[in-house]
Amino acid sequence: MFTPFFYILKAKGIEVSLTEWVTLMEALDKGLSNSSLTDFYYMGRMILVKSETDFDKYDRAFQEYFQGVHSEDEIPPQIMEWLDAGGDDEERMWDEDENDSLWTKKEHSDDPDQVRRKLKERLEEQHTQHDGGNYWIGRRGGSTFGNAGRTPGGIRINGRTGMRSAFQVIGEERYRDFRLDKALNTRQFEVAFRRLRQFSARLDVPRTELDLDKTIDSTCSNGGYLKLEFDKPRKNTVKLLLLFDSGGTMMPFSSLCNNLFKAVDKANHFKDVKIYYFHNCVYNKLYNTPECENGDWIDTEWVFKNLDSDYRVIFVGDAQMAHEELLGVNGNYRAGNGGLPGIEWLRLFQRKYKKAVWLNPRKHDNVAALEWLESELLISEIFPMYKLSVQGLKEALNKLMVSR
Amino acid sequence: MTMERTTFQGSGEYVASEELMSAVNIAIQLKKPLLIKGEPGTGKTMLAEAISKSLGKELIIWNIKSTTKAQDGLYVYDTIQRLYDSQFGEAGVDDIAHYIKLGKLGEAFKADSQVVLLIDEIDKADLEFPNDLLWELDKMEFYIHETKETVKAKERPIVIITSNAEKELPDAFLRRCIFHYIDFPGPELMEEIVKVHFDRLEENLLKQAMDTFYWLRGIRDIRKKPSTSELIDWIRALQLGGIAPEKIRQELPFIGVLLKKDEDLNELKKRR
Repeated sequence: MFTPFFYILKAKGIEVSLTEWVTLMEALDKGLSNSSLTDFYYMGRMILVKSETDFDKYDRAFQEYFQGVHSEDEIPPQIMEWLDAGGDDEERMWDEDENDSLWTKKEHSDDPDQVRRKLKERLEEQHTQHDGGNYWIGRRGGSTFGNAGRTPGGIRINGRTGMRSAFQVIGEERYRDFRLDKALNTRQFEVAFRRLRQFSARLDVPRTELDLDKTIDSTCSNGGYLKLEFDKPRKNTVKLLLLFDSGGTMMPFSSLCNNLFKAVDKANHFKDVKIYYFHNCVYNKLYNTPECENGDWIDTEWVFKNLDSDYRVIFVGDAQMAHEELLGVNGNYRAGNGGLPGIEWLRLFQRKYKKAVWLNPRKHDNVAALEWLESELLISEIFPMYKLSVQGLKEALNKLMVSR
Repeated sequence: MTMERTTFQGSGEYVASEELMSAVNIAIQLKKPLLIKGEPGTGKTMLAEAISKSLGKELIIWNIKSTTKAQDGLYVYDTIQRLYDSQFGEAGVDDIAHYIKLGKLGEAFKADSQVVLLIDEIDKADLEFPNDLLWELDKMEFYIHETKETVKAKERPIVIITSNAEKELPDAFLRRCIFHYIDFPGPELMEEIVKVHFDRLEENLLKQAMDTFYWLRGIRDIRKKPSTSELIDWIRALQLGGIAPEKIRQELPFIGVLLKKDEDLNELKKRR
């Protein structure tokens, strides 16, 4: 019935499966949407969408498909304003007993089409603000239309409680914040970092851990004589090397980087985590603290010698070095270059560590077209580059997990 | 009100939004598990209790921990007890059924009348956990290998599953669920919720406390936003402490009830 809607949802990036679609049809068949568009909106969402991060996409698909219906519901801004006036005088306008009597007296107009038609007519007639009362569009009355009124089967305009009308909800874009392409808090980073694990049970390691359950089973089937069973220890074997850019251009992202740092710090499931800092670009020294004070550093060579190539490397930086800083042999204005331009140091990392990615809080999509982003382009040719957002981090971590 | 027995309308102690109520009812009608997500403290777990009360059905709770395995919910074959018993020649050792103990899911299936089954915090368990339950939740039956017996639900239980989004759930599992995200309640709904928890509450105190609460939640730099249950605890503390309502916003008494992190408390200090 709503097949085009199915394809619009798919086009908007919601992976609706056939099972779910059939479930929705079944629900419609059972009349669970009460022939109401708003109910249909919620029902469709709860059956087809399985993450609040997709609510926004659903809203947009819904809007596209049911657009025609929307235009009929349209309320002139003037009337919206009267209804919105709300606020302090609300309590006075509301009379419980009167409402109860209205509730019983009122004839219920259940046919939504008829109600909508009436609303349209009424909109054409009404020219002033009305609160209370039974006929005009207004607040807290028994009229079929208005805000915070209580007529069953009526149309609520811009109200606050109860079932929110579909287009109302869409208009608010309340689920914007949940979208995956937004950078979010530590917790979400932490969740993302859980992807980064590889259990030793799947690796070729000796069976050294006593498997109690199997031992008991074997002992039982062995007629009660003890028979020991061993298994591979189930431990995460992932080691992580994190390199933060602490240069001036990264200042606007300090809280974002801080969140990322905390997430790694809290994730205790890694076998080893090493964190160092660099200023604008990596040269022969890596700093121990984000302040990047000369002297408080280690040799980059030390890292190459002591951290084996199993380490997964994540660079975090905006990749906005000056031309000289990246390509010049004397580009490092704070300390020596160590004989190589910055980009060569990065290539050394690439050669040593097979699994390395670059997270960029400023990542540009059309980097090749923007000349002044030369350094970003050059670096993204060395390391796969992702935006520092929840979605970007997920993709980056997936990249780190796949074997080449 | 034609289906009074089978539709959920909220209960005396639980204020549900209409969207949530319709999600529950649709899940019941379609005989699918209802997956509930939402911020901590929005009453995900209490929902199942409210459903069980309002429909008058027994509630079975399966609390998921990081070590929980799907098998635990079906049945456990107590081999150790059997081994132990056999050493002392206890009666019944040859009867395996004697050592099969049903888990929570098994209990729900075996129940004579329809029950409400709450699978709480499913995301705590291993990533593969939900996948291991697909068949059981679909068909509402499982097979006990040791006794060659099939346990099948007499009445399909109403299954409520909660998740804190700590792990992503597998797609195959999600496809079989009805999903509802509990929004953080707005002031009006919150007022209703708070009032359910108190017999007598001074209007002014409530208003001041709520204003302060939403103001705190609105501060961007506060990391752990206070939740509904914390608001209720706070109002209780304010009430017991006999704090004058007009002082609440100014002095923020017992603020430790709302904010638990040092960073957040410092952030607040900066603003005062």
